[in-house]
Amino acid sequence: MSNTQARVPLKARKVSFSWDGTPLHWVPEDPFTTHTINVLHLLLPAGERWFVHVYKQVLPYIRDERLREDVIGFIGQEAMHSQAHDEVLPHLREQGLDPTPYTAQVDWFFEKLLGDRTLPPGRARRWWLMERVALIAAIEHYTAFLGNWVLNADELDRRGADPTMLDLLRWHGAEEVEHRSVAFELFMHVDGSYRRRVRTWATAFSALVFLWQRGARFFMENDPTLIDGKASFKDFHVRGRRGLLPTAGDMLRSIPRYLSRDYHPSQEGDTEQAVAYLAASPAATAAEKRAA
Amino acid sequence: MPRLRTVALVAGAALLARGALRRRIQVSPLWPMPALEEPTSGRPRSRALRLLVTSRETVAEGVVRLRLEGRDLPRWEPGAHLDLVLPSGLVRQYSLCGDPEDTSSYTVATRLVEDGRGGSREVHEQVTEGTELEVRGPRNRFPLVEAESYVFVAGGIGITPLLPMLRSLPEHAEWRLLYAGRDRASMPFLEEVEKLGRDRVTVVEGRPDLDALEVREGAAVYCCGPEGLMASVAARFPDVRLERFAARTPAGGTSDFQVELRRSGRTLTVPADSTVLAAVRRELPDTAYSCEQGFCGTCQQRVLEGEIDHRDELLTDEERADSMLICVSRARSDRLVLDM
Repeated sequence: MSNTQARVPLKARKVSFSWDGTPLHWVPEDPFTTHTINVLHLLLPAGERWFVHVYKQVLPYIRDERLREDVIGFIGQEAMHSQAHDEVLPHLREQGLDPTPYTAQVDWFFEKLLGDRTLPPGRARRWWLMERVALIAAIEHYTAFLGNWVLNADELDRRGADPTMLDLLRWHGAEEVEHRSVAFELFMHVDGSYRRRVRTWATAFSALVFLWQRGARFFMENDPTLIDGKASFKDFHVRGRRGLLPTAGDMLRSIPRYLSRDYHPSQEGDTEQAVAYLAASPAATAAEKRAA
Repeated sequence: MPRLRTVALVAGAALLARGALRRRIQVSPLWPMPALEEPTSGRPRSRALRLLVTSRETVAEGVVRLRLEGRDLPRWEPGAHLDLVLPSGLVRQYSLCGDPEDTSSYTVATRLVEDGRGGSREVHEQVTEGTELEVRGPRNRFPLVEAESYVFVAGGIGITPLLPMLRSLPEHAEWRLLYAGRDRASMPFLEEVEKLGRDRVTVVEGRPDLDALEVREGAAVYCCGPEGLMASVAARFPDVRLERFAARTPAGGTSDFQVELRRSGRTLTVPADSTVLAAVRRELPDTAYSCEQGFCGTCQQRVLEGEIDHRDELLTDEERADSMLICVSRARSDRLVLDM
């Protein structure tokens, strides 16, 4: 895990998943773990669409051909992540858990609050574009963290979690690990200010914690099979110790790493492991075959 | 003790605020974020389905009808078609000619084209009962509109999109069908069509006489059939609605066309062997794109004028009405105007 890891050319994979056989509680008998991870399906369709939207606008600021190629590959991967998670939502609705009240808010959050017109045109708008590029770099620190976690979350397999859902999460996680340096390198290339890095980290972290706990509570309270569904921090702590969710300790320890002046995403996660998963993932190999 | 009083006041106020906040959240758990009026996430998209061919029968000379079974299939409107991904990976479009209300199967019919692009040959030679096919759609770019009366012109296998239309028209609707073919043995669904109303259907062997066709004011004209027939119908009735499956140019090839970039005020030519994206990038190098295969959606652009030949696998019918993926899709007309 050093800076010398080989550079992988990034390309979008045209995956598709069939959700017909996936039960509502795809981690058997553990609605809390299921729904805490399900929050991804609430945040990512709008969130990753927003990444693509912002990055399309930043292309003219890139003066480095290699970075531009990476960003173009990154955009396609993020677009596919957004589509793949989006396709889970109708499946949840069919099972009696309509996510629309929540996703409509997430749509507002990314399309309006974090949209293009939040600030007036001119210098303010350029500032806003750079602020959003920095926000994406901070979020990508966490997506790489989660990607690395899910690639190693063997406990989910031992509990008999649904293989299709695990493949979605690990295909996505592996691509996040694969492209984890792009967002940070782009931010350093077009701006790189340390104050901005700290400020946007604080915003992104608070927003993620706020949206995630809210999403988990939303799912638990609206799950048609639970009579008095509640989500609590204690549940989270217990699942973390069992290896079913990331631990709070690991998450806290990742904070100073991002804020360190020596930070580079290549120090996190393992490209080889990610590439190996992608070479074996049912969805990614099927995509490979279709493309051939 | 003024300090103690301040602390007690602040603590009391904080407790009250916390209680109020909790009650507020209990009443409406998603408070205080507003929602987007027309949510973007979670809208059902047409996705790929894997369906089993459960019946394959010859319904006329050189025409086979396939029944593809699945469950909870999306509904469709008359005029809709399916994209069939053939075992070799070729993608071909076929009109649905079964019952739109049937959510457990789709029916399509295809004629063997000897000198075609290979799609129909593959269906006829390799697809049998028990073959599993990937299917996308259904999509409708040939919808049945409300009109005072209808005139349908079908040439041979071109009857397929029209058949569900004829069945769906109300009993009292005023319509005429001109059904032309080489000879009766090669014309599919002839019996069923004639049953729909002998006095309304004219069957012609050979070239039909379009001048004899009576089209009243306010009538909607629909035509599907060989290129020559559609061209002569279009020449006589400029408002005709056409369903075209084969590319306008022969044998899978493409021709060059003009693209105007209206906002940047430039016009460029897209050569037959190049893509719109490649041509646009020569003028505007910062144009966003990624997969270059029509699935990621990054290069979607708004189209202001011109007829689009959609070749992507992503956009919904709604999006297709006024936008395209410039990495794969092309023009059906000689010129496209893009909003870029």
